[in-house]
Amino acid sequence: MAVGAIGAPKGIAGRALGNRSLMAGVALLVFIILLAVLAPWISPYDPNDQDAIASLGAPNAQHWFGTDFFGRDVLSRVIWGARVSLFVGAVSTAISMLLGGSIGILSGYVGGRFDQGVMAVMDVLLSFPQLIMGLIIVALLGANLTDLILAIAITAVPPFARVARGPTLSLKERDFVEAGRALGFSNLRIMLVHILPNVLDDLIVMGSLWLATAIRTEASLSFIGLGLPPPTATWGSIIREGFENLLDAPWLAVFPSLAVLIVMLALNMIGDGLRDATDPKAAVS
Amino acid sequence: MKRFHILAAALCCMASPLALGTAQAEKILNVGMAAADVGALDPHRAVSTQDKPVMNWVFNGLVRFKPGSVAIDGLEPDLADSFRRSPDKLTWTFALRHGVQFQRGFGEMTAEDVVFSLKRAADKDSSSFAADYANVDSITALDPYTVQIKLKQVVPGFLGLVANYQGGNIVSKKAVEQLGEQFRTMPVGTGPFEIKEYQPNQGIVLVAHAGYFRGKPKIDGINFKFIPSDASRDLAFSSGELDLLYGRQDQKWVERTKEAPGTVVDVIRPAELAELSLNQTKKPLDDLRVRQAVAYAIDRAGIAQFKGAATAEPATSVVPAGYLGTIDAKLFPHDVTRAKALLAEAGYPNGITITVIQTSLPTMLNSMQIVQAQLKQAGINLELQVVDHATFHAQIRKDLSMAVYYSAARFPVDDIYMTQFFHSRSTVMTPTAATNFSHCAVADKEIDAARVEPEDAKQQALWATAQQKIVDDVCAVPLFEQLQVWAHHTKLHFNYDLKGSLNLGPTITEASTLD
Repeated sequence: MAVGAIGAPKGIAGRALGNRSLMAGVALLVFIILLAVLAPWISPYDPNDQDAIASLGAPNAQHWFGTDFFGRDVLSRVIWGARVSLFVGAVSTAISMLLGGSIGILSGYVGGRFDQGVMAVMDVLLSFPQLIMGLIIVALLGANLTDLILAIAITAVPPFARVARGPTLSLKERDFVEAGRALGFSNLRIMLVHILPNVLDDLIVMGSLWLATAIRTEASLSFIGLGLPPPTATWGSIIREGFENLLDAPWLAVFPSLAVLIVMLALNMIGDGLRDATDPKAAVS
Repeated sequence: MKRFHILAAALCCMASPLALGTAQAEKILNVGMAAADVGALDPHRAVSTQDKPVMNWVFNGLVRFKPGSVAIDGLEPDLADSFRRSPDKLTWTFALRHGVQFQRGFGEMTAEDVVFSLKRAADKDSSSFAADYANVDSITALDPYTVQIKLKQVVPGFLGLVANYQGGNIVSKKAVEQLGEQFRTMPVGTGPFEIKEYQPNQGIVLVAHAGYFRGKPKIDGINFKFIPSDASRDLAFSSGELDLLYGRQDQKWVERTKEAPGTVVDVIRPAELAELSLNQTKKPLDDLRVRQAVAYAIDRAGIAQFKGAATAEPATSVVPAGYLGTIDAKLFPHDVTRAKALLAEAGYPNGITITVIQTSLPTMLNSMQIVQAQLKQAGINLELQVVDHATFHAQIRKDLSMAVYYSAARFPVDDIYMTQFFHSRSTVMTPTAATNFSHCAVADKEIDAARVEPEDAKQQALWATAQQKIVDDVCAVPLFEQLQVWAHHTKLHFNYDLKGSLNLGPTITEASTLD
């Protein structure tokens, strides 16, 4: 006997589709994702092609977003940068959800001193600002793609653990969980089949919001020089290079910053929309 | 009436501190440097670009380059009143000035301090320049004001070893012994400014040395601020927060900055020769064909085009142009096809990857990214591990990088540059290590022979052979020569003709003024 998510009001999809903010966010995000996926075909230039003659060129018909110090096309670098930023953000958020969600459910389900110990560790980790935490981990592990993803993922584990643990504490006392125990189901089965579906909504909403934070953290780490090494285009590194040439070519920092802003906006609209769509109180009203 | 008194009193209160402030306003020079921190302020350990300008202000040598000049023939007595050398050029005797005071109350400088300093500079445990002093036989104090140096063999440009540069800077023996590890950041010299405070990652506060033997400086102090970001430094300069700044070494920066009102751009010598040293002990760079491929893949003219003629000059050899002995060496031309063919011949038809530790300093990182893009054309993937500047210096000296991008100027005699960068005695991680990152040993014989060769023509020929051998063995690929770029507001007057500074930054003398 499998018990599905309880309390899930009918018509979540309907409410989501009717939420204009959510739909606008999804449209923006899909647009950016398409840009990233289609980068090899739609990017006007190779993002790493240098041209001394075009160094620090203003936006023009050939280079819509201008060129950087190396004469590289900024539009192409912003498009290719989307790939890295979205990939790092998505994978690190997925890892955080998986790790944090598992720790939270396990901790809440086992309870007692184990729960206290795990949550104490999470609280200590939470006390570090995300960027500082990411900075420490990147400094320890090194700045390559895998380590960067791991660093960002680790910073997000505690909040996901907290979000998963809360509902687990009440769910484990519910009749359907007691019934599962009475029927001799293993703890693992109860956690995976009976508790997880009921905390998944919260984790997804949290994930959509955290994706924005992960992308921002990647951009911030790249901005302070702890992101992927050159010549890889990431939004943070393009902004950093733009900042170094702020007085000669202010447009360099503007376009990648706008890209970050648009993604942040889209993800926050999606997060807010999802929260509204999955909120039982909203369903009643 | 009462209201008038209150107003008058209030105005007095407001005006008097201002008036007092004006009367007693200190002349503090604010300098912005492109670094996050210093490497070392101990003159015998100061190897980083950001360390060197400070050496100019804190220390003296037995002789000195005239302020604003890097000409060897312009060397003049500094802490020494006079000097003489024996006919065989092996014994040098220096008569010291009387009454020269060390900073921070460390007493009078005597021959004992000079002997201690030079022996310290020659000791690999306390100096990064020990290899330069390998041919010094003895350093003796004949009396409190006379020092005699005996050489094992003739050293070309010997005065460079006792000038106000690198190991030649004289330190206080008492201060070294008393301060211990603290001497690294709070050293004591005899120069016009003394270090009052070192603030990690922020800056250095220097104050005028009241007992300076040429007279108390007219500028009361110097705030040397670490601002690694070019843009932040520029903004601080344009807002008047800085009076003197380390500029970005490219044409666009020079053109923009010199248009700013009340600003003078100083493009000065020496040019630092930027080279890519290839570590011959690391695969696949142990294969000469691979190193030749790297040399063929680099387009020196292309790099110079990025840098601009105002701040960079093309490299002519593995030693900077204009040094005693430098030739126009036969360098590898840019030929990507030949580079690819050599890689294929060496067994790498699909290209190679070279992992390089690289500083995050924007100017050096930018140059390396140009090289990276050029090498990519030939299938050579340069994987950059970007670290802060101090870590970069530490790690390349531990032989951790397959290739090293290094930009340097030395005392302008080929012997010193070639010994430090290409003699096997200077190989990193050896007891006499200096800056031979490539493990080059191909020209040891010629470098050693040239040093003791009495005939100028033969000496020149030996240096020429050594340079070509180093080029052909591709110990390093010369890239370009980078001039030093600074800018100052017109309210700062150096009061000498600034053409260059071997310590890479303008000298602030006792005569320099600030309006």
